[in-house]
Amino acid sequence: MMIDNVIHAAVVMTTPVLLAALGGLINRVGGLVNIGLDSMMLAGALFGLIVASMTGSWPVALLAAAAAGGVVGLAMSLAVTRLQANEIIVGLGFLVAVAGLVRFFLSSAYGSSGTLSLPDVARLPRIDIPFVADVPILGAILSGHDPLTWAAWAMVPITVWFLARTRLGLRLRAVGAAPQAARALGLNPLALRDLSTVYAGVMSGLAGAYLSIGVVGIFNEGITAGRGFIALAAFYFGRNRPWATATCALLFGFFDAFQIRMQGRGIPAELVQTLPYVMVIVVLTAVAVAGRRARARRP
Amino acid sequence: MSAQVLGSTSFERPRWLRILEPLGPLAAAFALAALVLFAAGHNPIDVYTLLAVEAFGSSRRIAATLSAATPLILTGLATAVAFRAGAFNVGVEGCIFVGGLAAATVGFTFVGLPAALLLPLALVAAVLVGSLWMLVPGLLKARLDVDEVVTTLMLNFIAISLTAWLVNGPLLAPGSANSATPMIADAARLPKLMPPSTLNAGFLIAIALLGLYALWGNRTALGFETRLAGMNARFAAASGINVPMLVIKMMLLSGAIGGLAGGIHALGNVGRFVAGFSPGYGFTGIAVALLGRGSALGIFLAALLFGALANAGATIQFFSDVPIEIVDILQGTVMVFAVAQLGWIFVRRRASA
Repeated sequence: MMIDNVIHAAVVMTTPVLLAALGGLINRVGGLVNIGLDSMMLAGALFGLIVASMTGSWPVALLAAAAAGGVVGLAMSLAVTRLQANEIIVGLGFLVAVAGLVRFFLSSAYGSSGTLSLPDVARLPRIDIPFVADVPILGAILSGHDPLTWAAWAMVPITVWFLARTRLGLRLRAVGAAPQAARALGLNPLALRDLSTVYAGVMSGLAGAYLSIGVVGIFNEGITAGRGFIALAAFYFGRNRPWATATCALLFGFFDAFQIRMQGRGIPAELVQTLPYVMVIVVLTAVAVAGRRARARRP
Repeated sequence: MSAQVLGSTSFERPRWLRILEPLGPLAAAFALAALVLFAAGHNPIDVYTLLAVEAFGSSRRIAATLSAATPLILTGLATAVAFRAGAFNVGVEGCIFVGGLAAATVGFTFVGLPAALLLPLALVAAVLVGSLWMLVPGLLKARLDVDEVVTTLMLNFIAISLTAWLVNGPLLAPGSANSATPMIADAARLPKLMPPSTLNAGFLIAIALLGLYALWGNRTALGFETRLAGMNARFAAASGINVPMLVIKMMLLSGAIGGLAGGIHALGNVGRFVAGFSPGYGFTGIAVALLGRGSALGIFLAALLFGALANAGATIQFFSDVPIEIVDILQGTVMVFAVAQLGWIFVRRRASA
């Protein structure tokens, strides 16, 4: 069934964007706009694949990917919080430097230019749900997905709960909204901000591993295909609300699946690719116009 | 997100410190890259010596370095112009794509025109299209206070995909399988300065613009007002400067220079527009503007440095087994360190003393 295929592909394409977007969301709530999510995805994708081949175990590979992303996140965060560097420039710098490091590492250690294919890579398993799998549409939505996809969606309500109900979540929001006030209350804004960036790195690292050991099975320097920026678009578009962000990630996943399906059928893939970015600009504009109207109405 | 990136405290520091300031990030970046080289089993000093020789060792090599620096001078200038007004424009990369496509389209369409007409026409098209590309984020920032970092970043991806679509469909060269426009007419080519080197008249245009920028920034009222608006928008507004209008103007100017960078790249180097036209010139331009601290001489030196790295990095692969990516690592770390307050401990101690 074609519709089942598109739905299944859309869910697959949503997972990496959703993971990275939830990480970036927490990071932004903590007061740091993370432009460098893509670099953390790249590190996670590479180390996830290498460890999956070395150990033959996908959980260990995911741990390695999360650690790789977290380390990049920590380095980036320290540059912003301790060296007082501008977060946007640092993010762009990390994109350039990490992409260079990854390619440098590939050609030094494996003598390959841009692509890495390893033997015995442990892939993410698929969870087939009996009976549900045979139901049209519902089967495509629920069955045949890997544990990371389930975990990504489970993280959406957990993120809502974390930000609204936990001590750490409330502190993080305080740090992001008013660092000076948070400091006056005895919190350490810089440390909390570092923690949120490490978390964003961990989530992006997992997103990268999803691409390398979940979807493709090999590593390529262009494997992220700018999904870190789509994730950025998702949490900007969702305005830091987890469910809205997840909905946007799903929408972008559908665009992605749709664009792959439509290749060679008259609808130019390049134009579909621009949609997430156009939508962000439109939403930001709409929000600004609405905000101005609301201010104008106030006495 | 404030745009206080171009060393707003530079007034208080002594002159010698201001001149030496950019060397800190450079030293830090080269030290870090040396560690990477060392870890991979290369001798960093040998690699850096080889890079220097390949970049500046002969007149032919210097010409190649200047040629590689040309787009970076322009993108650095485009970025600096916007930064100066407090607009954090990271969308110069997109301007290169749309400007380059516009110049190439004029260059292969009006084949009959003489060079004296066709060449300026193609460059003007690049300037206009690049400038228009920045109109929306400029207006949104100035009128509605929409974050220009996000809009310009998003516009980069839109520009790359949009131009890729155009050269795959409507503007694809007939009979060509790859995503490229037809070659431009010979009359549209920027004349070469030192054949066979690719160094062309675009370099002279870039240098002339740098000179104008220095004059404009230090000698004109608009240049002063722009600097004021970038340093403290509220104070500038209180002094009677129309800050939103200034932001729009500077975004348009930034886009115009970015578009020109694309046009010069198309007419001087590539000879047409191809998908993947710019290897990140716009992003390197941000590093150039930051490292150059927004001054004309600083931008020239920083562009020269990155041009030398790009040029020498491409050739050392033939003579050694050092991967060319060391150049990217250097460039990225320079960007990070250029905005990091490396000397902040030192400054704070002095202030408290």
